Amino acid sequence: MTKLRSFRRHCLLPRTQFPASAESQKPRLKKGWCAVSLSQEFPILEKQNWLIHLHYIRKDYEACKAVIKEQLQETQGLCEYAIYVQALIFRLEGNIQESLELFQTCAVLSPQCADNLKQVARSLFLLGKHKAAIEVYNEAAKLNQTDWEICHNLGVCYIYLKQFKKAQEQLHNALHLNRHDLTYIMLGKIHLLEGDLDKAIEIYKKAVEFSPENTELLTTLGLLYLQLGIYQKAFEHLGNALTYDPTNYKAILAAGSMMQTHGDFDVALTKYRVVACAVPESPPLWNNIGMCFFGKKKYVAAISCLKRANYLAPFDWKILYNLGLVHLTMQQYASAFHFLSAAINFQPKMGELYMLLAVALTNLEDPENAKRAYAEAIRLDKCNPLVNLNYAVLLYNQGEKQGALAQYQEMEKKVHLLQDSSSLEFDAEMVDMAQKLGAALQVGEALVWTKPVKDTKSKHRTTSTSKAASLQQPLGSNQALGQAMSSAAAYGKLPSGAGGTSHLTKPPSLPLEPQPTVEAHPNEASAQIREK
Amino acid sequence: MAAASSSDSDCGRAESAQLFPSSPSNEASSKWLDAHYDPVANIHTFSSCLALADLHGDGEYKLVVGDLGPGGQHPRLKVLKGPTVLTESPLPALPAAAATFLMEQHEPRTPALALASGPCVYVYKNLRPYFKFSLPQLPPNPLEQDLWNQAKEDRIDPLTLKEMLEGIREKAEVPLSVQSLRFLQLELREMEAFVSQHKSKSIKRQTVITTMTTLKKNLADEDAVSCLVLGTENKELLVLDPEAFIILAKMSLPSVPVFLDVSGQFDVEFRLAAACRNGNIYILRRDSKRPKYCIELSAQPVGLVRVHKVLVVGSTQDSLHGFTHKGKKLWTVQMPAAILTMNLLEQHSRGLQAVMAGLANGEVRIYRDKTLLNVIRTPDAVTSLCFGRYGREDNTLIMTTRGGGLIIKILKRTAVFVEGGGEAGPPPAQALKLNVPRKTRLYVDQTLREREAGTAMHRTFQTDLYLLRLRTARAYVQALESSLNPVSVTAREPLKLHAVDWRDSDGYGTRKKTVCFSNCGQPGG
Repeated sequence: MTKLRSFRRHCLLPRTQFPASAESQKPRLKKGWCAVSLSQEFPILEKQNWLIHLHYIRKDYEACKAVIKEQLQETQGLCEYAIYVQALIFRLEGNIQESLELFQTCAVLSPQCADNLKQVARSLFLLGKHKAAIEVYNEAAKLNQTDWEICHNLGVCYIYLKQFKKAQEQLHNALHLNRHDLTYIMLGKIHLLEGDLDKAIEIYKKAVEFSPENTELLTTLGLLYLQLGIYQKAFEHLGNALTYDPTNYKAILAAGSMMQTHGDFDVALTKYRVVACAVPESPPLWNNIGMCFFGKKKYVAAISCLKRANYLAPFDWKILYNLGLVHLTMQQYASAFHFLSAAINFQPKMGELYMLLAVALTNLEDPENAKRAYAEAIRLDKCNPLVNLNYAVLLYNQGEKQGALAQYQEMEKKVHLLQDSSSLEFDAEMVDMAQKLGAALQVGEALVWTKPVKDTKSKHRTTSTSKAASLQQPLGSNQALGQAMSSAAAYGKLPSGAGGTSHLTKPPSLPLEPQPTVEAHPNEASAQIREK
Repeated sequence: MAAASSSDSDCGRAESAQLFPSSPSNEASSKWLDAHYDPVANIHTFSSCLALADLHGDGEYKLVVGDLGPGGQHPRLKVLKGPTVLTESPLPALPAAAATFLMEQHEPRTPALALASGPCVYVYKNLRPYFKFSLPQLPPNPLEQDLWNQAKEDRIDPLTLKEMLEGIREKAEVPLSVQSLRFLQLELREMEAFVSQHKSKSIKRQTVITTMTTLKKNLADEDAVSCLVLGTENKELLVLDPEAFIILAKMSLPSVPVFLDVSGQFDVEFRLAAACRNGNIYILRRDSKRPKYCIELSAQPVGLVRVHKVLVVGSTQDSLHGFTHKGKKLWTVQMPAAILTMNLLEQHSRGLQAVMAGLANGEVRIYRDKTLLNVIRTPDAVTSLCFGRYGREDNTLIMTTRGGGLIIKILKRTAVFVEGGGEAGPPPAQALKLNVPRKTRLYVDQTLREREAGTAMHRTFQTDLYLLRLRTARAYVQALESSLNPVSVTAREPLKLHAVDWRDSDGYGTRKKTVCFSNCGQPGG
């Protein structure tokens, strides 16, 4: 064996060295390589492909185009890669139709290449011809069965065609071939489009497991948890996102709004500074900053910020809601009325808005319309006891003891319901007011507040003793109501009509969550109120 | 000669410098000495065409540049010593890569220089042409060969030839030769002449070299004999014997290699990472003819550098990724601008290995793993980078810029790259004050007035509002009665008259406007 090998080597060496020495002598004589010509009739088609590619990946498109032109001239348009890159550049420059034509040329030049078909499909996709794109992708898939990109893009095309089942199938195929963050994001999106939050979370969880440093995945997962009210996990993921990218706009806004819920207004404000630098014209940002100032009792600054938010997004009812709330607190009832009625125009399905409007009307000495607003609020909101309490207070102050009693009992029912279903803590102010009203209506002994409630946020909501008025004083004086309202704001959106699920305090406005669809037809009740 | 043309800074200061771009960087605290800056050095090249080597064996390291020339027109081989060009010789074709390597064991141990260009590798010793290696011809398609043989014997007419070739092109695995492709493009009348002119020639298929690197043959030493590793346009990797220039190993890839990185020794064990044009990175080992692992980037790689055991890849999505040698993603760092080029920084005296990345915004960033160690600002975007021994100085950084400039910097001997210095911490924007809109005295006064007379304001406003509506309604009715209302010309587009009141909700009810819109209703709307 060894002998044979050595023999072979002997045999090989002269053979290989011969041309070497023969060739190497020539240039030595001539002091350069220029004399050595390849004596080729036809230029090698792919001669400068590497150069085209290097220019292309450096995004030096001008240089790239120059080389492509040269190469195509030399090869009489046969160089497939040059055409391919030219098409890619066209597409980047927005000339999708031209790029499509060039990719089709490439596909003609080498029909067995899946890559060309993929690019044709991609251009079709960008032109919005999803069905045609799917057809071409299917062609490409026949040539290359193990390409995740084909499956992924097919999935995306199906999403646009609203065929979610097929889209899911393709995306799962893509994940099976090779896992990519983008596929997870798309799959999550499908579940969100179908309204299946749990499944979406499941997908994003897997995605985060696969790529734990992707801030977009972390932020989206955090926001989903936030939507479901799982605050611990939401904060964890948002925090992770911020560790990897301390300037992530979405994550900062979401984390900030959570901090606001916990009363950490200063921390939230510091975080918002980063966003204010990066995205100075973001309505949710200025809304949240405004509510931070509101929490810190800097009402003028709060109004300034909220008005800026309103200027940036005049049709956002949440900002108008907050503006109404702040103006109520500032005892500017006329202004509050305007903001609230504007908010109702955009969002006619929310009980709290009518309640606040009723409070404004009460203070504008228009009890008739206030009562109507309360009635509407009760109709829309089936679980917030505050509405009934405020209504009861109004009725009591108007001397309608019967009505007040009915509302009070209604409130008790809701409180029981809430206590049964969740561990919601009631606002101290509200409890206090309810107890007083109960006493006044002589039903005080049937106390529903079985749990002594501690208000953790009491330092922000002054429950001054001077305000705890005696029975002779009319209940629900301006200030007290304003205070009660400020806690109402913290209730944010209780899903109206849906009883039972866990309600916890939510910030007045969550950033970037899907807005409830505002229906176009004007609400009759609210119109009536304003007519009178 | 030295010019304070560019500046560098630690990452901590880099942030503050971003906020105050005018602040000059402190020369004394910089880690780098500006050795040379020539904005018109006329060097246009890539990192792969830069090499540092002691070409003459005199202990004086030279810089070898495979220069593409302005606009890729006049390719040249330049050898620089210090700031001056030592020799300059024209090249027959654009250089794709340059590498220096030791060919044999015997003394004097001067490294040879290899330049890959087109289908050839030109090897120089002592800066003299020594050997030319050409890639072997690719086997032609047997069917195609057969057809041309028939044409040679005039047994086939051009039209049939064309049809047959067309058929081969549609199906065959092996692509056609240039000759056949040219033929397929011809008009009918040109075919005859073409066939008679070319039929006697044997058909050839030649490929070109896209990238090249070196791999130690059997010893890990600094001055061990190395093999050349070539990547070719026909998706192959070749390992060349340094003495005989025969192909020692051939590996095939699913795509065309663009960047290569090799570690280990050819005779023992090696790992080869090849970044390819399809955006994937394939990792091969000694015994594998096909890739063992695959990293899918979903973007094009713009650089591939191995730092210790971590593969650092720059992508066109302006980010650096770290991967294990098995293809598992370790980390990602986002860059502020597009990456133009990458290379390895190795400071032997301190055992430091880091990645340098030249960015489109004129920065060169140095990273160890995820940690930013240093930022160098240059007057022009750096397009190629090289770090190593130059002249007699151990740690020299050589950069060429987009405009053809040459920058040489020397790392101070006292300079230590601190890990984590200035890393983390809050972003600088957090220190800025919020721009909260101010409110005037008038606003406060108005607020107070509203508090006092809110109810009255509200009532006045509402009354005025009803009056306004009443007037609008009256005007409308009047217009209808006197037939002054606008009439639509076409029945399909009915005209709607809207009376809309815009209440300026500034909170006081003091301003009112009436805007009457008469707008053309959309069909069906």
